[in-house]
Amino acid sequence: MIPRLPPTPFLRRDILGGLGSIAVASMLRAEEAWLPPDGLPMIPQRAKRVIWLFMRGGVSHMESFDPKPMLTKYAGKSIGETPYKEVQNPEKLKKVRVVVVNDANGQQRNVIYPLQTGHKRYGQCGVEISDWFPNIGSCADEIAFIRSMWTTDDNHGAQVQFHSGRHMLEPRVPTLGAWVTYGLGSMTDNLPSFINMGPRFFDVRDGHYLGPAYDAVNLKVDPKNPLTYAAPEFQIGRTQQEAQFDLIHRLNGLNAEQYPGDKTLAARMKSYQLAFNMQTAVPETMNLDAESEETKKLYGMDDKVAEPFARQLMVARRLAERGVRFIQLQHGDGAAGAWDSHSGLKKNHSSLAQQVDKPISGLLKDLKQRGMLDDTLVVFATEFGRTPGSQGSDGRDHHPYGFSVWMAGGGIKGGTIHGGTDELGFHPVEHPHYVTDVHATILHLLGLDPHRLEIPGRKRLERDFGKVIPQILA
Amino acid sequence: MSFHPVAFCRALTRVLSCGVLALLPTAVRAVDYEKEIKPLLKERCYACHGALKQKAGLRLDTATAMRKGGDNGDILSGNPGLLLERVTTADKDDRMPPEGEGSMFTAEQVAKLQAWMAGGAPVPAQEKPEDDPRAHWAYQPPQSSGHSMDALLAARLAAKGLKPQPEAAPELWLRRVYLDLIGLPPTPAQIHSFLKDTSAPARLRLVDQLLSTPQYGERWARHFMDIWRYCDWYGLGAQLRHSQKHLWHWRDWIVESLNADKGYDQMIVQMLAADELAPQDRDNLRATGFLARSYYLFNRTTWLDETIEHTCRAFLGLTMQCVKCHDHKYDPIEQTDYYRMRAIFEPLHVRLDPWEGESDFEKNGLPRVYDLHLDQLTYRHVRGDEKNEDKSRPMPPGVPRVLEFASFEPKAVKLPPASSRPVLLPFVLKDHLAAADQQLAQAQKSGDAGAVKLAGLRLAMIQAVYAADLAKGDKAIAQAAALAEARYGEAKAEDDLAKAEASPKAKDADKKIKTAREALEKARTKMSTPGDAYTSLTASFKAQEGPAENGNAKVQTYPETSTGRRLALAQWIADKRNPLTARVLVNHVWARHFGVPLVVDVGDFGRRATAPLHQDVLDSLTTGFMENGWSMKWLHRTLVLSDLYRRSSSNAGADPQTLAADPDNHFLWRMNPRRMESQLVRDSLLHLSGRLDLTLGGPSLDPAKAETSLRRSLYFIQNADVEHRFLAVFDNSNVLECYRRNESVVPQQALALTNSGLSRECANALAASLSKLDAPAFIDQSFLAILGRVPLEAERKASLEGFRALNEDRSLFLQALINHNDFVTLR
Repeated sequence: MIPRLPPTPFLRRDILGGLGSIAVASMLRAEEAWLPPDGLPMIPQRAKRVIWLFMRGGVSHMESFDPKPMLTKYAGKSIGETPYKEVQNPEKLKKVRVVVVNDANGQQRNVIYPLQTGHKRYGQCGVEISDWFPNIGSCADEIAFIRSMWTTDDNHGAQVQFHSGRHMLEPRVPTLGAWVTYGLGSMTDNLPSFINMGPRFFDVRDGHYLGPAYDAVNLKVDPKNPLTYAAPEFQIGRTQQEAQFDLIHRLNGLNAEQYPGDKTLAARMKSYQLAFNMQTAVPETMNLDAESEETKKLYGMDDKVAEPFARQLMVARRLAERGVRFIQLQHGDGAAGAWDSHSGLKKNHSSLAQQVDKPISGLLKDLKQRGMLDDTLVVFATEFGRTPGSQGSDGRDHHPYGFSVWMAGGGIKGGTIHGGTDELGFHPVEHPHYVTDVHATILHLLGLDPHRLEIPGRKRLERDFGKVIPQILA
Repeated sequence: MSFHPVAFCRALTRVLSCGVLALLPTAVRAVDYEKEIKPLLKERCYACHGALKQKAGLRLDTATAMRKGGDNGDILSGNPGLLLERVTTADKDDRMPPEGEGSMFTAEQVAKLQAWMAGGAPVPAQEKPEDDPRAHWAYQPPQSSGHSMDALLAARLAAKGLKPQPEAAPELWLRRVYLDLIGLPPTPAQIHSFLKDTSAPARLRLVDQLLSTPQYGERWARHFMDIWRYCDWYGLGAQLRHSQKHLWHWRDWIVESLNADKGYDQMIVQMLAADELAPQDRDNLRATGFLARSYYLFNRTTWLDETIEHTCRAFLGLTMQCVKCHDHKYDPIEQTDYYRMRAIFEPLHVRLDPWEGESDFEKNGLPRVYDLHLDQLTYRHVRGDEKNEDKSRPMPPGVPRVLEFASFEPKAVKLPPASSRPVLLPFVLKDHLAAADQQLAQAQKSGDAGAVKLAGLRLAMIQAVYAADLAKGDKAIAQAAALAEARYGEAKAEDDLAKAEASPKAKDADKKIKTAREALEKARTKMSTPGDAYTSLTASFKAQEGPAENGNAKVQTYPETSTGRRLALAQWIADKRNPLTARVLVNHVWARHFGVPLVVDVGDFGRRATAPLHQDVLDSLTTGFMENGWSMKWLHRTLVLSDLYRRSSSNAGADPQTLAADPDNHFLWRMNPRRMESQLVRDSLLHLSGRLDLTLGGPSLDPAKAETSLRRSLYFIQNADVEHRFLAVFDNSNVLECYRRNESVVPQQALALTNSGLSRECANALAASLSKLDAPAFIDQSFLAILGRVPLEAERKASLEGFRALNEDRSLFLQALINHNDFVTLR
């Protein structure tokens, strides 16, 4: 047994974030007026946690949540031959910042490529969604669709940009999940407050100048080995390990008498308690045996194609139930990300959609039936869209000028269709949003003011903060 | 009347802005200029209208200056007054601060400003203007006070009425110096030996002894690998995108240079310009790995940006990334300074030279820099946009003007023949022949006549080609080389065809045979007319200039001169008159011995860095450091033998008034405890279990083996692609920039020390060596081995009980002790 620790002078957020912020604070002592956030909402809070679903590689917005029939109508014609040639006005193409000069990808594609699947209207709101996402369609009235996103990186470094707001060629800055955990801290003593599942490539860190305490803890959805060092790599009985932790705690406690007021030591003692708890809490969360067959079916666990992502989303819900603040899921293997359909878009996207469609609708329905959708934000995002024109015979290239994301849950007005692109899906024609507007909206719903999430000496630009999207709020 | 859109907009703007003003409270209330107005103006306006710059001839740092006004006259008088008008106008072209240079004043701020102006803009008498930015403390040469650091610190404590803590126990001091200087904890035998004599001379002897072990160089190389961004090559699959292969040669140079106590000034010059300083000194060419590290395949500007930024930040504590796009907001550095600096690096390129004993560049080679684009002009990028160059005037090479104590005059360097033609290096022929000899021996062993013939022809070809390379321009010798090459080519093609025909059932056999036949045809044609063109011996490998460039192995000659720009830069940085270089280094070393730097941001000594509390200490150390030949060992000795370094890091028993007045220890009345860096945790674990392999240097090791290998941690591959799971948990160095390590406390650290095989194996090995002791002696010895001290009575009692609760399993007890906070802490 671990003896109960004496009440700690730290806030709960210090369990994980403690020394990170202490280190930062001590580095910045000069600026005395500044204090780190106290973990309390700064404005009324509508949601407590985030489940972040990121589709790596670039989902075609036209073949998902922003169908464009004109592509089929003008298929085979060059953009210049359509009534919409203005979309290629060089002035409008300027905002992109090229990473890889003369790369084969990330180019303008001039010959219009027809829609590769049908689409229809869903829900009371009547939003058009492609036939590859019927299950998400069935949840349309819970969702606010944002069809007017844009970014500036024409290559997959845009994944970094979507998480942090900064272009690949700029210095790395904290990601949204890091800011959220920094601003609000943890809701549990048994699990880390920021968790990532699934592959990352361009940047595997989140905290950056906030410190590694704000990096996501990577969990693998492998019940045998979900977390590095989560289980002993050698034979040891539970009782023996308890005796070890007990001894460690006693000795560190005696040390605290020798070093009164040593905050690092206090944080370390606390970290051992969380570590000890994580050893059981992580495997317990990963174990889906207790879930009913009905729930499993809801997520699509019975479908071989959907099963891996369904498992992750069930785990995500269980993490959310257990107090994890920010659950970040990355879907799609490979360096660039599986959604990157330079060729064979139809085959690629239809199969990837099958992997995620049922699980995501399952997650939304499950959260709703448990009453958790009221204070959980679910975000569906990708780094950019795909070109209206064809690449090769059957693919689409990267398209940073316009694409779609959606949000559902706490504080979101379900059934909202916000913004829109032109007839070709090229540029946003109303309410264009840079990626940080999504961040600002999420922070707002969580009760945080991004302008107050700043550390002296680390100037953030106006664009880093983004602007809340009021039209999608309930 | 004609309609003029611009005029109309302006008129509209005035109406709108008057509208805004009309909404403001008109009641004049007292506004405190010093508290409410001046800080606002300082934050939003001074960068362009203050001491740093006076755009439109205007300064806002005193009311007198505002009244005097700029090009448009007095900005305070009138209604609403120009100042108020310009911060409130809806016309984006007129509004201050301009778009992208700062956010608009809020309504509340405008109200205050208006109230202040309406009240006649009162200010205190004799308002002082902003200091001249050139007078910034860090831009002045350091002056020694003539006192030791201890005397200076003691005087300041006394003046403040603060009482220092007493000395720490000698064994704690001992553990500090071992970990600080060689990165390994003292063994129980070393502790016993030291405790016999803890006098000052004995401490000096010990410090000197530690500084003379090769482990000192490894320990401090790791610190400098952080600051200098050491990074092994990486890319996508086999494609090299960042850094260079075999960059470990630079790491070994750092270790060796530190062990030799080479002057820091000399190290800087060698890292930036060894190829210009002494082109034939191959040992020191390794130093230029510092520049080779920033190589980036896809974008030349990104490569040079990183080079400029990190050269300035590491050596000078200057932040340059913002100057790329606009003049500095805090420091007197202009955008043109940035591009003059870029001009220094503009000719720079990277290549591999051969490494003696190896002719295959995949296996070994020397990454080094050289000037390739001698005539390439540098233009300013308008607002930092590389596609928008200001071609009106090329930028000459130079250093920031504010720090230019002598004119910057690079002199071109004539290079020796082997620099422009690496094939002339004395060992090239020998190594190529050795490789061919090996091939011949293998062929003879296999008894394959074709292979023997081929190897023989290869030997002949190497000699002929080398002769032609030496006798550059001699036609007859070139013809002989071409013939030898053609002969080898023909034999190779014959051999390939024979091999293809020998296995007719292999996959794609027909296609392979056909290809081989065609190749043979070609080889025979060549044989009939060999000419005088031949392929030189591969004695260098030029790095690709962009992903499209091919055939770099063929490039074997390089420019015969170097611009000398980097040498001039390096000599300016490493000059005693440069006020920043030695100060920045002393601050870095100080931070690593005392936990907290003297100048808070080790990478920014610009105007944002206020003069440090202990500037006299910094400056005395800095001048002493330079006077002692920029010797790092002198600096370490001075710091670790100081009174401060001996002091206890505990608050226990502290004078209550001291504790209340300075709880964060700004005045250094006690030592600061520190957490081990990740490498120290792993190396110490292996060392205390007696298993650490102390082999020095060599190629970087596969990180996947890091948990089974016994080598020191600095030898594992480090780049943005690989993650070493054990080291990562303890805040491993970030290869992109790491001027200071983080010292986090996270539960994963607890899991790594309780659950990793590594910690258990170390505990097992230590348990085996302590198996014969009785329980109390075992516990004392365990404390000594792991924490460097014996337990207190209460700890001994708790340990005995814990040991019994663990069924007296020695390994489990030792593993628990590894998790003691004092193990990962430098107490």
